[in-house]
Amino acid sequence: MLGFLIGEAVRDLRRAGRVAVSAVVLITLSLAALGGFWLLSLNLERAVARWRERVRVIVYLKREPAPSEAKALVERVREVPGVAGVLYISKTDALVSLKQLLGKDASVVAQLPANPLPASLEVTPAAAAATPEGARALLERLSALPEADEVTGSVDWVERLSQWQRLLTTIGLGIGVVLAVAALLTVTTATTLILHARRQETEIMRLVGASEMTIRLPLLLQGMLQGLTGAVIALAALVATHSVVAPRLEPLVNITLDLPQLAFLSPVNVLALVLAGALLGGLGGWLARAKA
Amino acid sequence: MPAMIEVVRVWKVYSVGPVKVPALSDVCLRITKGEFVVLTGPSGAGKTTLLRLLYRDDLPTEGDIQVLGYDLGRLRQGEVAALRRSIGVVFQDAKLLPVRTVYENVAFVLRVLGTPRREITQRVFDALRVVGLSSRAQAYPAQLSQGEAQRASLARAIVRKPPLLLADEPTGNLDQAMEAEILDVLRDIWAGGTTVVLATHRADLARMLRRRTITLGSGRVVKDEG
Repeated sequence: MLGFLIGEAVRDLRRAGRVAVSAVVLITLSLAALGGFWLLSLNLERAVARWRERVRVIVYLKREPAPSEAKALVERVREVPGVAGVLYISKTDALVSLKQLLGKDASVVAQLPANPLPASLEVTPAAAAATPEGARALLERLSALPEADEVTGSVDWVERLSQWQRLLTTIGLGIGVVLAVAALLTVTTATTLILHARRQETEIMRLVGASEMTIRLPLLLQGMLQGLTGAVIALAALVATHSVVAPRLEPLVNITLDLPQLAFLSPVNVLALVLAGALLGGLGGWLARAKA
Repeated sequence: MPAMIEVVRVWKVYSVGPVKVPALSDVCLRITKGEFVVLTGPSGAGKTTLLRLLYRDDLPTEGDIQVLGYDLGRLRQGEVAALRRSIGVVFQDAKLLPVRTVYENVAFVLRVLGTPRREITQRVFDALRVVGLSSRAQAYPAQLSQGEAQRASLARAIVRKPPLLLADEPTGNLDQAMEAEILDVLRDIWAGGTTVVLATHRADLARMLRRRTITLGSGRVVKDEG
């Protein structure tokens, strides 16, 4: 029976001809747009996550505490809300870091009459404080420490990157939805044409006592077939584009976003796209089948 | 004999704007298992309306109809399908699917009803043999004469071996020779145990068949003889 129903669905698709092809093209475009923006958003999200992990707030101290005082200060700061970790950097540690940073020019440090660098605390914000509001509140709390001379650090730019990522997702969704609606209408039109073409079959099916499911299922199936075909073509286009473009873009994104690789959609994402295609086509068929 | 069809005080009234037009008025009849009944009367007498009520394509405005034990006024959707699986119907127009061969047209009915594939070929050729169309199995409807097309339609109606066959003017489009062929086939089907109700506007055809004849006139049973 299933073989018969699928056979009828394929026969119906052939009957719909160009309209069915248009529906498949539109489903392909909508899913390719959705998948493409999803891919960009996914990689930007990875970059944001990496940068969020690296955000640090530096508390420069008025004077270098004695070792025992430093330990107590670290403990005290660790208790401040929004703080995930604290590292004490003495004046000596800061100078060593500077020398490492200067590399072959490190000899200039030797000419300094005294170590000018202040002792500091390197604070890692907790996830809750990695938003602009959370970071501002944390900065205020750390500035209120009596030992603090100056507090620097911000998550604003990471947040801006995150906002770009969200904007990209929204644009992708918007384009995808507009194209999906067009695809839905085209599948519905194709199914309506099929309904017209198969009215004799439908009449005979009813006359001989076929169940409503047998009468309507081929319509749903042909819609799903259009959707699945569109999804597979869209995925093939995405894979091909990714395999060509990603190796060329990776050096650039490595420098700008510190992302060594441009990842492709996960198997779950791929499955979601295929299901979205089937659902889109099935829905188009279902919307038209009420006239059957 | 048990009643296969029982029609009790049935009215069918159509509304044409504010005007009520009765197509059937107070019709009563009883057809038992194994009968060959000719339903005759002039065009507009209500023959087609009555047949449509019998295979539950429409409902009466008033009255009760029982067919094969089903009370047609109280059937749910699934039961309508079950009723129709027990009735073969043929029309004046053969209603064959033009893009399928004779074999595929007949097999279509079995495939729709989920008959196992291994049974289909045997049953289709059995039905084609009964109507004398085995040699035309691979022909398309456009390649058939009107008589052959009507025989293919009959094969489609009987392929499920229904206990009841309703034929609405099956010879209406045919010349005399083809008409005789179809009537022979109908007689063969009836001889095989199927109850046959044949609607025709031709009173001479009814006389020629010499079977029970119910005559309708202006939606009423005016004669029931034989």
